[in-house]
Amino acid sequence: MPYATQNPRSRSFVLPLVCAVLQLAIAPQIGLGNGRINFMLILAACMALRSGGRTGVIWGFLAGLFFDLSTTGPIGLMAAELTLCSWVLGRECRNRLSEDRSANLIAFGVADLLVSLGYSLAMLATGNASGFLATVFLRALPTAVLTFVFFLPFLYVLGRPQAGGGGLGGGGMSFGGAKGRHLTIRGL
Amino acid sequence: MAVRQTLGSGGLGNTDEGTGGRLATVLVVISLVLFTLSAQEGGSGVLSTIRSGFSVVAMPFEAAGSLVAAPFRGIGNIFVNLTADQETLTELEDENAKLKAENAQLAEEATDAQSLRSLLELQDQYNLESTGANVIAGSTDSWSSTLTIDKGTSSGLTVGMPVCDANGVIGQIIECGPTSSVVRLMSDESSAISAMVQTSRARGTLRGSADGTVYLTTIAVSEDVSVGDMVVTSGLGGVFPKGLPLGTVSSVERPEGAVSYTITVEPITQTTPEQVLVITSITQEQQAAASDDASADTAASTDSATADSSADTQS
Repeated sequence: MPYATQNPRSRSFVLPLVCAVLQLAIAPQIGLGNGRINFMLILAACMALRSGGRTGVIWGFLAGLFFDLSTTGPIGLMAAELTLCSWVLGRECRNRLSEDRSANLIAFGVADLLVSLGYSLAMLATGNASGFLATVFLRALPTAVLTFVFFLPFLYVLGRPQAGGGGLGGGGMSFGGAKGRHLTIRGL
Repeated sequence: MAVRQTLGSGGLGNTDEGTGGRLATVLVVISLVLFTLSAQEGGSGVLSTIRSGFSVVAMPFEAAGSLVAAPFRGIGNIFVNLTADQETLTELEDENAKLKAENAQLAEEATDAQSLRSLLELQDQYNLESTGANVIAGSTDSWSSTLTIDKGTSSGLTVGMPVCDANGVIGQIIECGPTSSVVRLMSDESSAISAMVQTSRARGTLRGSADGTVYLTTIAVSEDVSVGDMVVTSGLGGVFPKGLPLGTVSSVERPEGAVSYTITVEPITQTTPEQVLVITSITQEQQAAASDDASADTAASTDSATADSSADTQS
């Protein structure tokens, strides 16, 4: 049995690790206009759709913070957006990835568009970008389109019924991993 | 354990309690606090230090990505050069860019000779103190046009240093980690470089835009500017050495009633360079002299007054 031989905790970090490496190594190399792939949004959405609840929210925050640190933009903006995004996507607190794929695609597409547009509006408001049309059509939309396209293989791999036993999906994707080691934040 | 895993992966349940609403609220507040602090820091502070540390960890991954992507960069050129031998075209483009750069340098020296500068100063004009660096990554996000180079504070680089390639200026360092630095390209919409038209000496500011077009702004309509003119650094501000090539004027428009031209500039470097030169310090001679500033101010105020009076006359 795979579960008896593999460490669930190590499996839990495969997807974040893959997304982090892709964000640093691949995202700068592939562009559509000014748009770049946001692998951290993909990570946050996958975690939220797979685990939901507090686990999804924490991964959303960490993914956003990683994105903020890896770019030249203000720190905390994407963290706030992905935290909210993860909370909304993961409110059902159950694994949705292996269920209705079209529903997952629509949910991600909407979240992708809103996060990209929200980030662009915030950048406009803070003076980091100028020109509404240019910001939306040359930056936000290409980013949203690219990110959506690159979400498809993740959905395919993680959405397979057997994904629970291996692959990127790893185990239950719980934050703590092994039994009795879940992250708990008392009082929240 | 196995049962729990099966349930977790099968979609029947989740071990987290609650939807994490309170936690999300707390983390959003933390994010907004970080955002506020980040905006207040302005490039120096705890968060900037953390970002510098992060860049050290990120650099090997960015370099690896650049290495993997390198063989595919030439694909775009293949389609552009379909009608001609690619090797010939590439050689001609390189030679043309070099000749443009040399031409700009020679013209600059000739202009300075006319200004009765000493021969010694001319010889020193492009004697730049600089260090070479390799480009390891492009922009990580959609909001900036930047490059990441493989040298940082440990090599003596600091924020603000000008960066050139073989043809001319490409940008300026905006973030500096111990082993890597981020260079803001002149096409970035936050970029602003003090520049002048080489033939007429008309001074303005070279600005980038969201779509990557570079504009030369604040050139009064009384100045003489035409398509094909070379645009070079003016040396004002003491950041960029004077006379380095920036690009050529590709279009000049004079909107009705405007006091300044709308000038589009084609950057002298069109492709992403693989190696760059970071200018670590410039001599007094490479900066625009204080008298130049004064004369520029005088000229600008005269031009402004002329433009105002002509506008008044028209009205």
